Amino acid sequence: MKKKILSVLLATAMVVSLTACGGGDGNTQTNDAEQSGGNTEQSSGNTEQSDGNTDTSSEEEYVLEKLHIVVDGTLTANVDSGQDAFIEQWEAAVSEKLGHPIELTIDQLDHSDYAGTVSRYLTTGTPGDGQYPDALIMSASMFREYAPTGLLWNLADAYENAEFQNRLQLKSVNENMKTSTGELYGFAPTYGNGCVTYIKQSWLDAVGKTVDDIKTYDDYYALLKEFHDGDPDGDGTTGKTYGVIAAGFGKLDEAPFINYMPEFWWGAYPDFYQKDGTWVDGFSEQATADALDRLAQAYADGLIDPDTEDASTKVAREKFFSNDQSTSEGVFTYWAGTWLRNLTDSMDKSEIDVSLGDDRLVQLPPIKEIKDTWGGYINREAPVWVITDDGDGSNAREQAIFDALLDTMLDGDVVQTLWTYGAEDVHWSTKAESFTTNPDDPEKKKDYEYADGEFHLMQSPNDPNTVWKKNHLDSVLVIAPLTNGFVNDDPLVTKGNQFFTDNCIDAPTAASCETLTEVKADLATDKQTWMNKVVTGQMSSADAIAEYQAKYGDVVATILEELNAQ
Amino acid sequence: MSKKKNFTSSNVEIRKKPLGMRIWNHRGFYLMFLPVLIYVLIVYYWPMLGIRYSFYDYTLKKMEFVGLKHFVSLFKDKDFWISFKNTLELSIIKLLLTTAASVIVSVFINEMANLFAKKTLQTIIYLPHFMSWTVTAAIFTLFLSTSSTGMVNETLKSWGLIQKSIDFLHETNLWRPVFYIVNLWKETGWGTVIFLATLSGINPELYEAADIDGASRMQKIWYVTVPALLNTIIVVLILNLAKVLNMFESVFVMYNSRVYDVADVISTYVYRKTFLTAIPNYGYTTAIGLFKSLVGGALVLLCNFASKKVRGRGIL
Repeated sequence: MKKKILSVLLATAMVVSLTACGGGDGNTQTNDAEQSGGNTEQSSGNTEQSDGNTDTSSEEEYVLEKLHIVVDGTLTANVDSGQDAFIEQWEAAVSEKLGHPIELTIDQLDHSDYAGTVSRYLTTGTPGDGQYPDALIMSASMFREYAPTGLLWNLADAYENAEFQNRLQLKSVNENMKTSTGELYGFAPTYGNGCVTYIKQSWLDAVGKTVDDIKTYDDYYALLKEFHDGDPDGDGTTGKTYGVIAAGFGKLDEAPFINYMPEFWWGAYPDFYQKDGTWVDGFSEQATADALDRLAQAYADGLIDPDTEDASTKVAREKFFSNDQSTSEGVFTYWAGTWLRNLTDSMDKSEIDVSLGDDRLVQLPPIKEIKDTWGGYINREAPVWVITDDGDGSNAREQAIFDALLDTMLDGDVVQTLWTYGAEDVHWSTKAESFTTNPDDPEKKKDYEYADGEFHLMQSPNDPNTVWKKNHLDSVLVIAPLTNGFVNDDPLVTKGNQFFTDNCIDAPTAASCETLTEVKADLATDKQTWMNKVVTGQMSSADAIAEYQAKYGDVVATILEELNAQ
Repeated sequence: MSKKKNFTSSNVEIRKKPLGMRIWNHRGFYLMFLPVLIYVLIVYYWPMLGIRYSFYDYTLKKMEFVGLKHFVSLFKDKDFWISFKNTLELSIIKLLLTTAASVIVSVFINEMANLFAKKTLQTIIYLPHFMSWTVTAAIFTLFLSTSSTGMVNETLKSWGLIQKSIDFLHETNLWRPVFYIVNLWKETGWGTVIFLATLSGINPELYEAADIDGASRMQKIWYVTVPALLNTIIVVLILNLAKVLNMFESVFVMYNSRVYDVADVISTYVYRKTFLTAIPNYGYTTAIGLFKSLVGGALVLLCNFASKKVRGRGIL
């Protein structure tokens, strides 16, 4: 009998503990449902409710109490860098603007698996389930694929009626994203930016050249050869350094595909693009074969660091400014503007060319062949913010999200400052203060002093030896500038942005159609493989393109047919 | 149909109580089992309902029944069959190599007379097993790099053995040997555990008898040690054979697009199709998963059959 009682007690305890363990989920679901209801009941948030409520709800009545956004790494105020303060100040500022409290939750995904995770959220989730985003960031490529799916809200009217309209300086950025029938499924608060080619000044000095000597592809190639064959790092050995490194010989899975090695890719665009109003397949063009041959020659000559093939952007960057320059490279094509500052600071941290200060890197103007073919460095299509459509037939929820998130994002004042620089007194301040970065290192030590009322960026929350640079929006790239005069006037960043603006052209519009969406990943993988094989000498460019046409000829024909029928 | 009756040894018929009665009589045990049952149902069986997606086009908000469409596409997909073939080849060769290496190393360790040296060696060869695959791949990638930071190539060049760096991880004819070597380095030590345990159980009298018979050291290994290990070797092979399709991490961290033809396995293929596609069709990738499970199930049954034949009892 005792055993029976004991077994019953044990079993009961286990059941209770199991129930308690699962209880969290149950409660969460209930809360989510309640939360969702909090936002949606008045606006007919789900289909069942909409049947009963559509007539009674109106866009004016909708009260958005919670906003859930999904972001990638471009929101630099992450959880380790003062995101709590950003959220707190955003909620206070936006609540005041809207006239009712609003709660912001941010789901910041791993940057490298962003597209995959977003796809899972949008496939398996439903609006209001606590994970399904109300709004999220998408790259231009992602956006082109999602725009026709019906999952994104057409924000054309909201955009036209937005408060920031009268301050817009670059209207074309969003106007160009509209469909032929006027729908607008994404909103770009900045223009896209792009990559420029940086050369180490000290290496140029070592081979007795200046950036003005590099005008053509031949000049560029000769420079890379001198960097490889000579001793530009001055360690007494030759043949160990490389001309150039990048995160891949080309990035064929992400538009604009060729911006990491532009000097080799000039004239080529290895994807679908519009030529004289007609969509064509750039990968099978002779220009692509020529570009691959140029890369192969440079690889065979040892001018391209072999690590390029598998390097992530982080690996490529770190090798470029590694404190061991004996196996480094002289040229690196990377993002313009703020990155000129970032790369310079990184070289400073690695104690490279300390005497050159902010003149460590020189920006190479586009070589003649790039100017003659593309016209300049490529300004990629801008990443966008999108709002998910809950499909209830009412725009109330979506308009409320637009008002709370996107309209305030470019308010020119408090909220825009939050998105541009981060939280006040955490990332930036106007209070009098002084601080020192690298206080223990006499060579790197730098003192900063600011008067009361003077706008300035503070020490980074996660690294007191660096000064915070920006949050999500780049103050120079933004389409409607701040009106409060808070400007980060770092001359190096300004110089970088100005250089890019003077030397860029817009990237071709990304292609999107049903068949392309189905095969895009396979196509990108195979193209990448063929490219790598050609560059490393495993096959000829002609064979690669022949294989491509044999495998994808019919699919490409269908894609072109669909694209040209749009 | 006649009902089978049970009898005691004294030929007294045992009348089985009704099921409900038996459950009630053992209600304490059933109650204790209930949480486990619930756990198993929720954690293991509930997710299996997802199998149905293999018969659907499941992409974003679209879920449409398509019958066997994905299986038809799958069987026509050349890349899938390449990955299937690679999975079997890589797994089986790796299994044979690591098992053989483990046996040889175990025998050598067993022969070592110095206990300190023996324990030290064991510890050293166990260590790589505890290193994550990511770290392992990073180390070997660095060692084998073709850039001037690659230790192996630079050493071979400095010795004058090669003029040009060898691209170990990107050449299709070199990737597999490198993969097997890395696996041997990482898993051989750990694989010796079970064999050393078996060796320690061999009756010393067998060696004494062999000594009396004038057997040499090699003869003792060949005629005493190896036969004693044989049953364990077969068991290890059979148990691991059932898992040959579950290969992902070791390949994922070491392969690249240039060696897909020899390195892409089912799991990496599914990963790319699912997670590197902007808008994946989960139906298709679920179909691949289901097919893999069916083949895996068949292998388990095969191994069970083999186990019964060899050991007299199954693994299920």
